[in-house]
Amino acid sequence: MGVVLRNLQNVVPLRRAKLRKDVEVLRHIFGVQRFDMGIICVDNRRIQRINHVYRKKNQPTDVLSFPFYEDLRPGKIPCVLQREEYNLGDIFLGVEYVMQQCKETSQDLHEALTVVTAHGICHLLGYRHETEEEWNEMQQKESYILSEFNRLTGSHLEPLTKRSTQDMRP
Amino acid sequence: MLKSVSRAVQLAARLSLSSSAPAVRPAPSLRRSFSRSFWSLSSSGAASGSRPRLLTATRALPTLSCGCGSLHTEGDKAFAEFLTDEIKEEKKIQKNKSLPKMSGGWELELNGTEAKLIRSLSGEKVTITFNVNNSIPPQLEEDPEHAQKSPEDEPEIVSTPNFVVEVTKPGVKSSLVFDCHFPEDEVGGSVSEQTGHGEGEEESDIFAIREVSFQPEGDVEWKETSYTLNTDSLDWALYDHLMDFLADRGVDNTFADELTELSTALEHQEYIKFLEDLSTFVKCK
Repeated sequence: MGVVLRNLQNVVPLRRAKLRKDVEVLRHIFGVQRFDMGIICVDNRRIQRINHVYRKKNQPTDVLSFPFYEDLRPGKIPCVLQREEYNLGDIFLGVEYVMQQCKETSQDLHEALTVVTAHGICHLLGYRHETEEEWNEMQQKESYILSEFNRLTGSHLEPLTKRSTQDMRP
Repeated sequence: MLKSVSRAVQLAARLSLSSSAPAVRPAPSLRRSFSRSFWSLSSSGAASGSRPRLLTATRALPTLSCGCGSLHTEGDKAFAEFLTDEIKEEKKIQKNKSLPKMSGGWELELNGTEAKLIRSLSGEKVTITFNVNNSIPPQLEEDPEHAQKSPEDEPEIVSTPNFVVEVTKPGVKSSLVFDCHFPEDEVGGSVSEQTGHGEGEEESDIFAIREVSFQPEGDVEWKETSYTLNTDSLDWALYDHLMDFLADRGVDNTFADELTELSTALEHQEYIKFLEDLSTFVKCK
């Protein structure tokens, strides 16, 4: 399988091939190339609805992660016994929300989406940021991942700053 | 395998997956499931053209006297009255009296139920062709407990036709042809399975490419010897490049949404016209 990419919105012009290419590099750096993953790009209306349903927060956000394996030790690659379990889960990218943030910060949309996706994959691998300690651990991981990404691709991505994006747990 | 592009559009028009009746268009104020379901008694369905024999030849038909020479029965009279009401109601709920415009400078050409959208972009010509026949997906039967809904709760009828995109570059004899469709919603994935995520949340792309092929430019016969790429088992990176290619030529999710609005309006328009022609045909002249 690999990465199932879906674009369910028409607000933001998306370069699917570029997003997929960047996600493949991230998967390689994380060491999860064998695992399937879903990346679903949605607008503010949809991400707000999902945020409301699953986290009781009636507002749009940049990313929501739905891990296949819950309660993973942060960064632990799942031990898989059957082929159908090579699945990390789904990441919903609030592309409209990210685009709005990019306009404020003059950042490139697709670079921002790559950073946000890295954050989402960290959540799929058990990282959380509900406490200061957890946040520091997650940010360390993100910094490493993105520095490797930059080294391999010549980009200059930086991890997300401390913000309101929460761990995705219903 | 698809034939000529125009025939491809006809063949690509969605056939009802049901073995019986085609997609039902409910009357706005009165369900017409009874009259439609009569056709479903035929094993091959109305879509195939066979007609159930409702009246045997040995029974005399109740006729009305008329000088025009055609058969006119009491049933025809009731039918004509029914159609008059039906046409009135359909016109009342008609959303768009004129067809909605597409953004992006697309020129619309109509030929009955077939529509063409044409656009030029830096010398390239992009043509989208679709047919509104059989373009309304069948609506699944509800659970009997929830079957009794008020008219306001009825799902909106939306036409989602298969469509063919032809991209022709100047000086190149062949066009790159994409057979596209509006996929049924995907079910599954960790979210759906674990959390019943289907709560009205679709997880399919708005539209998808099914096949890609090089074909002679224009409305000529489909070249069977041209390789046709099927996306079912295609490398996903290649698929994304193809989608980006279309998006750069104005065939993106915004286009797809507007296409369904146009198709829905056209289908309704053609349906009303059909009812009017039917009424004229049935009535005593």
